[in-house]
Amino acid sequence: MANQETQQLDNIIASRRAMLLGGGAALAALALPKAASAAATVTTFTDNDILNFALNLEYLEANYYYLAAFGTTIDQPNPLYAPAGAAVLGITGTVGVQGTVVVKPSAKVPFVNTAIAGYAVETAVEEGKHVAFLRGALGTAAVAQPQIDLLNSFNTLAVAAKLGFTTFDPFASDAFFLIGAYVFEDVGVTAYHGAAPLLSTTAAGKGLLAAAAGILAVEGYHAGLVRTTINGLDPTDAQGFLTITQKISALRSQLSQAAFVAGSTPPFPAAPGNPLGDDIGLTTNTTYSLAGAAPVSATTIVDANQQSVIAFSRTTTQVLNIVTGGMATTAGTPAKGVFFPNGMNGTFV
Amino acid sequence: MDNQKTLLSALSRRTFLAGAGTAAAATLIAGCSDNGAFIPPVTPVITDVDILTFALNLEYLEAEFYLRAATGSGLATADIGANPGAVTGGTKIPGLTSDQQRIVNEIAYDEQQHVRDLRAAITAAGATPVPRPALDLSGSFTAAATAANTLTVTGNPPPIPSTFSPYADFNSFLVGAFVFEDVGVTAYHGAAPLISNAGITAGYLSAAAGILAVEAYHAAYVRTTLTFLATTTANYPFLGFANRIAALRAALSGDSTTAGGSNHTETLLTVPTGTTTATTDVTPTSVVAADSNAIAFSRTTDQVLHIVYGTFSNTAGSTTPAAGVSKGGFFPSGLNGNISVTQS
Repeated sequence: MANQETQQLDNIIASRRAMLLGGGAALAALALPKAASAAATVTTFTDNDILNFALNLEYLEANYYYLAAFGTTIDQPNPLYAPAGAAVLGITGTVGVQGTVVVKPSAKVPFVNTAIAGYAVETAVEEGKHVAFLRGALGTAAVAQPQIDLLNSFNTLAVAAKLGFTTFDPFASDAFFLIGAYVFEDVGVTAYHGAAPLLSTTAAGKGLLAAAAGILAVEGYHAGLVRTTINGLDPTDAQGFLTITQKISALRSQLSQAAFVAGSTPPFPAAPGNPLGDDIGLTTNTTYSLAGAAPVSATTIVDANQQSVIAFSRTTTQVLNIVTGGMATTAGTPAKGVFFPNGMNGTFV
Repeated sequence: MDNQKTLLSALSRRTFLAGAGTAAAATLIAGCSDNGAFIPPVTPVITDVDILTFALNLEYLEAEFYLRAATGSGLATADIGANPGAVTGGTKIPGLTSDQQRIVNEIAYDEQQHVRDLRAAITAAGATPVPRPALDLSGSFTAAATAANTLTVTGNPPPIPSTFSPYADFNSFLVGAFVFEDVGVTAYHGAAPLISNAGITAGYLSAAAGILAVEAYHAAYVRTTLTFLATTTANYPFLGFANRIAALRAALSGDSTTAGGSNHTETLLTVPTGTTTATTDVTPTSVVAADSNAIAFSRTTDQVLHIVYGTFSNTAGSTTPAAGVSKGGFFPSGLNGNISVTQS
């Protein structure tokens, strides 16, 4: 545990240094996380506001997987959809400015491993269904797809997290696709976990809660799939994949903590053995005590508080700060940057 | 005592069933006073502690299964309460690679901590956690395998050997783990919306949702690994065994016994085929168990009870879930607490 903590501290220090050497608004914000503020704290909100927050994240995830599996964004037709069970999805809305997806040409991943290719297709279909479900539940209240960046964002992330390379193309290979997916999935879990208790206690709200809990579970399945597969490809970290996940988790944790607002956290915050963080990467040096016996070595497939083993939970502001690279801590200014260059659409901005 | 327990459970169940059922149950008990005085209809409530207790029973089962698979020993005395039930079976899996051992260790730890979380939450709520119920981790698996072999399953997977033991080797362990994990997901999913508003304020909902997510991580581990091995290993029968178990769970939940993926509680595992080119894709996997909206399945407490008891009804030979089942399968003496007898 101490090693894990030390590792995370090292990563955070290292990434801050890297950011100081970098450029751009997002990186500057990453380097100098301001004191937590009420920037994106919304005191009055509806169930639709919460669903729209989730919809922004699902637009991001669905486009990532559609591009990886099929080579096209979610709104574009593609003959590969039908055999997979995927659909062309709507991205219009009466709320917010509709954006496009910035991505390299021909993003379809040249998968070599059949299982990983199958995972990509499955996940694309499922994230697409989440977009469709949320848009259906919201009806005319659905926000438009915001501007999304899946090109510069990953390069920014690679520098900020000090992954060891400055060009991070998640569409380049099986392994990079998985690492790109790693960036999103655990965040989806924490976002739905944080949002679920915010839904109203009306009958309609309870129905949405059941749906949100069900999507939370699916994000957990996806996150578990990604982490299991990365761990399986490189169980001893010989290729450095596990270290990369630790650096990404450390960066997410740092951004999350920078947006921490006292009193807004769920009842199970950071783990005792991991006081800084709300994120655990894949490790080779974690040990746990079973039934009081001497500690034994264990994997960290599950991203959860290491004491309670309850998944982490994040507020909308914490999630916003992660996906915008630290831009959610400036009071009175909508958060925009990294994956959402023009910010999210909706109330939680 | 048993009758009282059954009645309590029956009344509790009524609150699960929206609408007329609640009123009917309330009417049923109105007027049943010893002195003949009218007792006004009340809305019977299943408490948050009842829900936490139901979850604790399931976590006892999972923790004992994984701890014994990992180390050969079960939960520590401090974690099982006074006068716990006995555990039958459960031995350390031989011949694990260090990578496999580390996986089993992690899941064992996770489930152990969930037992501790729930015991602490129940204690904090002013109640005494129920002790570990009696558990069968031996004959229950072979009985499940036998029952699963009688079903017609999409893809016609080979029958599970009559000698099946989840502790025999790593692949068998995956099938054993498969028995529990998706059930955990559906159980927590079904329970989350039942938590009271006060319980939401107290943090129970957030905790339940967080454990739900962890169960999904575990389920994904098992399903991903079975899928990966079936894709890369010639003549790998264990994915088919798992699908037989899924079909059994579906049947016990009252769904189609063929479990072809169009039922309401299960998604069968699939093996991807094909190649990736600019114009072709491989077929999708089925790591996630979810409905047509990609929302995870949910089960009622009755459906979960039928699965863990391994029994449709008290009528021998019946293949329709029925009320009154109070024990069997993994819980030879039933669950402890108010939610322990099927009401449907």
